[in-house]
Amino acid sequence: MRRFCVIWRRELAACFLSPIAYVIMVVFLGATGFTFFLGAVRNVGAADPLPSLLIGAIVIWLGMLIPVITMRLFAEEKRYGTIETLMTAPVTENEVVLGKYAGALTFLTIVTLPAVGSLFILERFSPGLSLDDIDMGALCGGLIILVLLSAFFTALGLLISLLTRNQIVSAVCCFVAVWLGLLLGWLLSALPGGAGRLSEYVSATTHIEDFCRGIISAPTLVLYASGTWLLLFSSVRILESRQLR
Amino acid sequence: MINVKGLTKRFGRFTAIDNISFDIAEGEIVGLLGPNGAGKTTTMRIVSTFLPATGGEVTVDGLDVFSNSVEVRRRIGYLPEQVPLYNEMRVQEYLAYRGRLKGLTGRALRGRIQEMLEACGLIEVRRAVCGTLSKGYRQRIGLADSLIHQPRVLILDEPTIGLDPNQIRQIRNLIKGLAPRHTVLLSSHILSEVEMTCRRVLILNRGRIVASDTAGNLVGLMKARPRARIQVRGPELPVCEALAAAPGVSRVTREGAAAGEWITFNCECEKDADPRVHLFKIVSSNRWDLRELTMERRNLEDVFVEMTADGEN
Repeated sequence: MRRFCVIWRRELAACFLSPIAYVIMVVFLGATGFTFFLGAVRNVGAADPLPSLLIGAIVIWLGMLIPVITMRLFAEEKRYGTIETLMTAPVTENEVVLGKYAGALTFLTIVTLPAVGSLFILERFSPGLSLDDIDMGALCGGLIILVLLSAFFTALGLLISLLTRNQIVSAVCCFVAVWLGLLLGWLLSALPGGAGRLSEYVSATTHIEDFCRGIISAPTLVLYASGTWLLLFSSVRILESRQLR
Repeated sequence: MINVKGLTKRFGRFTAIDNISFDIAEGEIVGLLGPNGAGKTTTMRIVSTFLPATGGEVTVDGLDVFSNSVEVRRRIGYLPEQVPLYNEMRVQEYLAYRGRLKGLTGRALRGRIQEMLEACGLIEVRRAVCGTLSKGYRQRIGLADSLIHQPRVLILDEPTIGLDPNQIRQIRNLIKGLAPRHTVLLSSHILSEVEMTCRRVLILNRGRIVASDTAGNLVGLMKARPRARIQVRGPELPVCEALAAAPGVSRVTREGAAAGEWITFNCECEKDADPRVHLFKIVSSNRWDLRELTMERRNLEDVFVEMTADGEN
């Protein structure tokens, strides 16, 4: 447990030791804020509640952010050979994978959380809008699905990073995987019959819509939790094998 | 302390290590020698639990490196060849991180960091960012890292590469000083260094052990079959034939390309023979000119070349 914390701390420190972290934060906040305000302006008077617009804006840019954050996790260690010193220290593969995962997820949270502030900035500067107009239940639901998506796709990015020593390859593959994950269900839901209904049921876009309406369903929670667990478990096994170097 | 039995490692169809066995006793310093691609680094990676073996058994302190990997790692300090460091960290931060990872905390950790900074000559760069330091400093940071948790077994892959002569001496003394309490397995290209630091030498070639003995014994083995070096001015072929016919000489080879009219020959001698007088008489009776005639002192380098030459050709 202590070694898990040591790795977690280092991962987080590594993010903030490089200038890229600050660039990412600024760009992400600017991009989500802009997307959200644009959405809000275009939807004035429409039925779409503000929280769902905000969560939508964050999810769009999360698809860019996650590959950038996760690409270095293992690819960098492999490229510089530090994986050799890391894996010959008395740490288990579980501790390494979970430590790195926790570090990436913490950084992701630090970057995304302030984006929620856009909602309150909009409220402050829009004369006709007050805090009571914002559906807090919907916002909470939206934040929960955000956490679930982040957890799942960060684990996916970590697994991809483990398979290559090139950060660019890792980022591109992760980018494709994240967007497929987000949109594939929605695309396939156009299929006729049972396949379409099943696709709609497991589609990320359906989940986002539901949660942003305040509908928090246990099967969805279990789906993302088990998916995340599966990805992390696979990562540990791959790291243990070390044959895919 | 380290027991290797029938170790084999294959990468696809390529056999990097072919059924090697050796034992290293506690407190021993053993040098691993071999040309590039002989399997030195692979052997060290397997012993340090980084790579799994294809076949065979490796134990450190009685613990299997595969099934008891974490326990083995507690006991070893490993310095990889390329000395990977986190380039964005400061030296002291890096050592603190590595120390914590290896289970040190609080005052013990601070004490060990200070000791290591002093022992490895890193005091003046303790606040420098690792990525900006030269190869020599990186090497010493790596060494400090491998020693920080006072491991019983040290595995050092080319520990003195990239250091200047003063630093080499310093590190060599540091390694020598570890001997009674630590077991050391080190690889090196610098043969004189292995001769000086290691009690025993393993010579590896094409994944097999071709020699395993003390450096002194290996050199002694070669000394028994000495070599005379002779520089003559005369027609190459007749000189060569005449020299080969001298008593005590088993084989004559020309050294390098002919530089002008002077030709240098190496005469391999029979056991304990000294054919210098005969060689001089042959040259003078043929009225050729003689410029140099010496018996060569054989060192580990000759042993190394002899033992590993077959693989090259």
